[in-house]
Amino acid sequence: MDFDYTSEQQDLRDAVAKLGKRYGHEYFVRKAKAGEHSDELWDEAARLGYLGVSVPEEFGGGGGGITELAIVCEELAAAGAPLLLLVVSPAIAATIVSRHGTAAQRARWLPGFADGTRKVCFAITEPDAGSNFHKLSTVARRDGDDYVITGRKVYISGVDECSQVVVVARMADERTGKLKPALFMVPTDAPGLTLSKLDMEIVSPENQFLLFFDEVRVPAADLIGEDPEAGLPALFSGLNPERITVAAMACGTARYALERASTYTATRSVWGRPIGSHQGVAHPMAHAHIQVELARLMVAKAAALYDAGRDLEAGVNANMAKYASAEASALAVDTAIQAHGGNGMTTEYGVATLLGATRAGRIAPVSREMILNFVAQHLMGQEKSY
Amino acid sequence: MKIVVLVKQVPDSGADRNLRSDDNTVDRASASNVINEMDEYAIEEALRLQEAHGGEVVILTVGPDRATESIRKALSMGPDSAVHVVDDALHGSCAVATSKVLAAAIAQQGADLVICGAESTDGRVQVLPHMIAERLGIAALTGARKLTVDGTSLTIERQTDEGYEVVTASTPALVSVWDTINDPRYPSFKGIMAAKKKPLQTLSLGDLGIAAGEVGFDGATSTVVEHSKRPPRQAGNKIDAGDDGGSKLVEYLASEKFV
Repeated sequence: MDFDYTSEQQDLRDAVAKLGKRYGHEYFVRKAKAGEHSDELWDEAARLGYLGVSVPEEFGGGGGGITELAIVCEELAAAGAPLLLLVVSPAIAATIVSRHGTAAQRARWLPGFADGTRKVCFAITEPDAGSNFHKLSTVARRDGDDYVITGRKVYISGVDECSQVVVVARMADERTGKLKPALFMVPTDAPGLTLSKLDMEIVSPENQFLLFFDEVRVPAADLIGEDPEAGLPALFSGLNPERITVAAMACGTARYALERASTYTATRSVWGRPIGSHQGVAHPMAHAHIQVELARLMVAKAAALYDAGRDLEAGVNANMAKYASAEASALAVDTAIQAHGGNGMTTEYGVATLLGATRAGRIAPVSREMILNFVAQHLMGQEKSY
Repeated sequence: MKIVVLVKQVPDSGADRNLRSDDNTVDRASASNVINEMDEYAIEEALRLQEAHGGEVVILTVGPDRATESIRKALSMGPDSAVHVVDDALHGSCAVATSKVLAAAIAQQGADLVICGAESTDGRVQVLPHMIAERLGIAALTGARKLTVDGTSLTIERQTDEGYEVVTASTPALVSVWDTINDPRYPSFKGIMAAKKKPLQTLSLGDLGIAAGEVGFDGATSTVVEHSKRPPRQAGNKIDAGDDGGSKLVEYLASEKFV
């Protein structure tokens, strides 16, 4: 067993960390509070090829895997400047196109993912379905050379800054009439598609949206895989990279919070010694650090399994990595705020600004309860609870 | 134009740095080692010249085995190849001996232009650029904040305390740069992936025709006999905001030549 990253992966980590630090958390907060997006960071990271690390080389990408993409996600977050849409655009959308798109779709869409000029969001969650994707009510039907999509989606990240959205709809099987998932690449300005911004208590340059699809027409060539059978495997292929990268991002945010906290407690002196010399302050930070390192190991393992093509094992580990990192980052941020005392709740000290995002990490993209259900049922042989 | 860029691996100046207790040399084993910061500006300047005028950029490093990490990082920024002079006998070399090794390696490469950082963050003696130019018999344009190349003619703005001087020379020449000259690029992912595949030539002292006794502790013209930690910082002057607070503050600032 080898716990070392390759020298290239380590160099990538160093390079992304350096770039991220030049932007930093102040940039992230300033953008979020001004209602702006992290365009400068996205564009610069894109030009350097950091956003296209996992896109195949033949389409201009880096030819790396989810391990490399997870490194990029983690290090930007560790600098206090996470890019949420990495989880959606390169991790989910590009993977789905790369693995299940037709040759024409790959040639059409992947170069834009490789150089970061194409930003694509992902719409699966619905108001009345939640985590139950068998209840998705967004439907697509064939009409001549087009498909026509009708339905609603909610908590869709970054629609206002994406050119397209991968929409998970359901379509009746021609033979059996049974509804099966189908994925479409839909322009975000398609006629019949309306966006409604949701007010969220999360400090983030990325916005959340409610989407309404009213008879939105999509050419048949934009059904991913161009085959109704491609839907389900395509959907699943996007979810593991999503979980792994979101977990990596949470670990990065946790590292950022603990670094802020430990820097503060090592120098802040109230009773004549640094407050970090008191175990009541130091132990919670050390405990959180251990939880974060455990989560990072799980992220690395899940990514390695995924990159080795061991999808089933990767799925199990990606879920556990997501669970562990969400819990660890929520703990780390809470601990960091406590260590800062009153300063912890100011904007200036840059830790309370992470509260909303890390709390949301315990809910999205899959809730901790659904992961616990999965582990109990599939790994521990318990009866399905829902 | 063939440009040789000198790159030194140094302990990270942002972390704790020490000298070894046994021989008073820089403790590299326990340090987090990085490319000397000023050398990144030298690499960037060389790459910009290459982009504008063509030619070749070669990294030259003298250092222990582990300096290959820094060479790889330098190559990931875009240079074409690297030369690494590594020899156990080099341990303990002084600046004069190091300049001999670097000059011999540069001469072997046949460089039109040598670019280096104006100083290293570990030694900080700032003498190597001059020594190397002297040994090679080429012009030294040192302390540049700007470099322009027109054919074989080089012009720099030499940064000084008061402002800058315009200095010109013809190739072959050496230019040392400060961090005011440019903003070094980050390595692209493709650059990182390509770095290991680039030619890396390893040379020993013998390959450069230098005897072991000319360098290292034996050949050193200066030796560190003793070292101690910098004393802890003293408490500063506190000026209370009383009636004469303002004038006391100005007096202090004037005494420190801030105003």
